Amino acid sequence: MLIATLTISVLPLCIGLGLLIESIPLLQKYHFWRLISHTAWSPMEGKFGMLSFIAGTLWVTGLSMCMAVPVSLLAAIYITQYAKPWLMGIIHPIMDILAGIPSVVYGVGGVLIIVPWISEKLAPAMGYSSSGYCILAGGIILAVMSIPYILHLQIEIFRTVPVELKEVSLSLGASYWETIKYVLLKQTRKGIIASIGLGISKSLGETIAVLMVVGNVPQIPANVFQGAYPLPALLANNYGEMMSIPLYLAALMFAGLLLFLIICLCNSISTWIIYNMHQV
Amino acid sequence: MKRTNWLMLLLITTSILQSGCQHNHTHHIRITGAFALYPLTVKWAEEYKKAHPNVEFDISAGGAGKGLTDVLAGADDLGMFSRELTPEEAKKGIWKIAVAKDAVLPTINARNPLFKLIQKRGLTKTDFQRIFLSGKSLAWDSILDISSSIPIHVYIRSDASGAAETWAKYLGVKQENLKGVGIYGDPGLADAVIKDIYGVGFNNAIYIYDLQTGKKREGIEVIPIDINNNGKIDAEELFYDDFNQVLQAISDGRYPSPPARPLYFISKGKPQDPDLIAFLKWVLTYGQSFVKSAGYVPLPEETIQSSLQTFNQP
Repeated sequence: MLIATLTISVLPLCIGLGLLIESIPLLQKYHFWRLISHTAWSPMEGKFGMLSFIAGTLWVTGLSMCMAVPVSLLAAIYITQYAKPWLMGIIHPIMDILAGIPSVVYGVGGVLIIVPWISEKLAPAMGYSSSGYCILAGGIILAVMSIPYILHLQIEIFRTVPVELKEVSLSLGASYWETIKYVLLKQTRKGIIASIGLGISKSLGETIAVLMVVGNVPQIPANVFQGAYPLPALLANNYGEMMSIPLYLAALMFAGLLLFLIICLCNSISTWIIYNMHQV
Repeated sequence: MKRTNWLMLLLITTSILQSGCQHNHTHHIRITGAFALYPLTVKWAEEYKKAHPNVEFDISAGGAGKGLTDVLAGADDLGMFSRELTPEEAKKGIWKIAVAKDAVLPTINARNPLFKLIQKRGLTKTDFQRIFLSGKSLAWDSILDISSSIPIHVYIRSDASGAAETWAKYLGVKQENLKGVGIYGDPGLADAVIKDIYGVGFNNAIYIYDLQTGKKREGIEVIPIDINNNGKIDAEELFYDDFNQVLQAISDGRYPSPPARPLYFISKGKPQDPDLIAFLKWVLTYGQSFVKSAGYVPLPEETIQSSLQTFNQP
């Protein structure tokens, strides 16, 4: 049992190290900061600027969280506090199905439904011209994909709040909504942060569904109707072409390393927030 | 309990019987790579199997880059390849034979309000360079010197593809310099242009035309190339109506090369396996009779002869 636990603990370290070792040829030639602060991406000419890919990753993930978190939170509150018990019985299988649909199916759905909708209806209504392959489409798909995970965790967390707490609050004359706001949400702050962290991790790494709708354009998007190129898509699209260009493989491994670092950073931030709540 | 025992016995017997049946040896040939060559390879495999039932084929399309990677990794016997090898790639000991010809054509959505005008005028290489290399959001007024705010949505390939590399070569650059929305695969790129009224892209000819009718697929049109740069499409530049005309133009060189190009089978080093060599020789001889009907241009006779010669060289 100890060995199993140790193996699991060492795994992330090994992956990070492996990626670092593989990307050393690139890091020897260019400075780390130069790589992540430039946008010029042209491997044939030896330009490996990663900034547009980092920006694309953050944009798509950020957008998806802006959509998924409020929806999940409101739904979780409704299901656990207001709804009849039978609704829970319906919601659970629905979430399992949503979580179980392969991401490539989400991608195809996005191409068939969301992309045309954005290019024909939404973008013109907002006064933009867009092909529909853009970060908004990626964000919407990621939001749909990460909602089941976030919602599941939040429902479980809300169910752990003792009924007595709510009863006390209500008996002091607080309204039901005030009780939810000041008792339930305050009690479960940590869990909510953790669920958002889980959603972010899920979104950051999602590859195929996003690359099908995000446009794969290496640029820093100026608005949500422009295409972008997230790090996982860069890896997935180009892993087949690396043998003919020097340093290409190292650059792709470096992209993997960046993704790894971003995920570590997000986890650290959410852990830090939760830790600080303890201090209060 | 008794029933489980019976079941076990049944399973064991069937497995023993099955292993005994594998006397007639089947041979698998695994092929991946360029979308451009995929339909023709499938056709060849079908025909070849009629005469050689003991050969099985696993064929899948994933772009020329994937074909090359799989061949180098030993995951494949043959790669379908639709561009020239770079010097670095050639150093890896890649062996190739040309098997047919086709072309990459620039495409546009059929409902584009300016299509009639574009069809009359055609676009020059310089116009295409402006469209595919600028990376800015363009409108047609910057290409056709008319006042028009109709935007151009440029679509390119996101995967490592021979079509994109060949199209880039025509424009004098590499695939990574093409700027536009990247879509995976040949069929995907055609669909993106069909779906977007302002869409402009490029495709292998076989994914634009319907083989049965020889007409273009519903919703997609070809942008005629103004080869002599005289600002209009002349009679000898007009051959896009029917698939056979296009193939004829590729064959007699009226359509420039690139974007017309030979298609190759590649392998890691010269093939040694007799079954594989037999199949490749069949492709270069009897197999050539299916090239036209599958929607490709047959190779000139001397090219085929020199390809056949490579088998006899040490």
